[in-house]
Amino acid sequence: MNAPDRYERFVVPEGTKKVSYERDTKIINAASFTIEREDHTIGNILRMQLHKDPNVLFAGYKLPHPLQYKIIIRIHTTSQSSPMQAYNQSINDLDKELDTLKSGFEAELLKFSKDY
Amino acid sequence: MEGASYARMPRVKIRELKDDYMKFELRDTDASVANALRRVMISEVPTVAIDLVEIEVNSSVLNDEFIAHRLGLIPLTSERAMGMRFSRDCDACDGDGQCEYCSVEFHLRVKCMTDSTLDVTSKDLYSSDHTVVPVDFSAADSSSVETSDGRGIIIVKLRKGQELRLRAIARKGIGKDHAKWSPAATVTFMYEPEIHINEDLMESLSLEEKKEWIDSSPTRVFDIDPVTQQVMVVDPEAYSYDDEVIKKAEAMGKPGLVEINAKQDSFIFTVESTGAVKASQLLQNAIEILKQKLDAVRLSEDTVEADDQFGELGAHMRGG
Repeated sequence: MNAPDRYERFVVPEGTKKVSYERDTKIINAASFTIEREDHTIGNILRMQLHKDPNVLFAGYKLPHPLQYKIIIRIHTTSQSSPMQAYNQSINDLDKELDTLKSGFEAELLKFSKDY
Repeated sequence: MEGASYARMPRVKIRELKDDYMKFELRDTDASVANALRRVMISEVPTVAIDLVEIEVNSSVLNDEFIAHRLGLIPLTSERAMGMRFSRDCDACDGDGQCEYCSVEFHLRVKCMTDSTLDVTSKDLYSSDHTVVPVDFSAADSSSVETSDGRGIIIVKLRKGQELRLRAIARKGIGKDHAKWSPAATVTFMYEPEIHINEDLMESLSLEEKKEWIDSSPTRVFDIDPVTQQVMVVDPEAYSYDDEVIKKAEAMGKPGLVEINAKQDSFIFTVESTGAVKASQLLQNAIEILKQKLDAVRLSEDTVEADDQFGELGAHMRGG
């Protein structure tokens, strides 16, 4: 059997970086982030969050091939921001959103179990 | 952190809550977040499932690997799974999966001695850890009085003289690795529909026409008020975005009779658990896992530093 191990889909191999960053050589304030062992779950929420940022001119992600377990996020911003700043901001905002969701759900769970 | 925050403030409202089922509303967020939660619940919330089976005696009609596969699919109570280690990165053992941090051992010894067939079920599995045991469905649903006789999940049937003896090791895993580790039976979400009936146009229809129009919907979304004989919306969420009533209205020569919009920031979720974790815990775990995933994709310090140097050089070149 020469099938690859199933965990190769989600375990980052040793010596590989989870996130690598590459600036666009032709356009300023444009860059690509390659994220190893992630898929649409992360790619799509980051893309949609980046679209909320008015300084982001373009944000998109792609899964280059279903058997290459990585995604590429491309960000192009105005000169007021930078791709790296926008990327970090989007992660922070999503993290905050999930915190709100978490505490909101916990409160709701408590209320629900009391009421019924 | 510089820059304004564009974080949303989502709201949740639980509609229905049982151990293995939950229905809730999620508002003020994006479809991408709703879908990420759904995806994480299905394939990334960890559970414990049998992963290694050593068969000592098997004289049953099913072959060894068939039984090993069936054992793997038995849901085990996994409240502890979030705190456990994956055996591939467990330091306390060599990855053979027999330590308390990453695995649980099971034994099964059954022999049929009678003339009637003997059912070997998940209740015959003896766990070395009382927190990780096969899910008991008879207790969860007490309303259906002993429909399954509380016998657990059938693994194999033995006839007289047949025997099954084995040792199994359960490990922590995720649904992405193998579906047996998925804690979710189904997770679905839909956009909340907004249904507006054009009352003036509706009143131009006769009672028969109204009934005909209502019956054109494959699901019972509309009905006639028995008092006023007006068409009313009885269950907007029964609408399956099939457009049948809209097409029917057009066919009747009454376009615009009803307007149906999907609210882009409101979702109705249903979560069904396999019993490995409670449905409410499943969502909480999913939020936690998603947070961990986001944290893992933050840029590392050395990437930022490398870019700062490059940035100065780049700025110099552009400015020069």
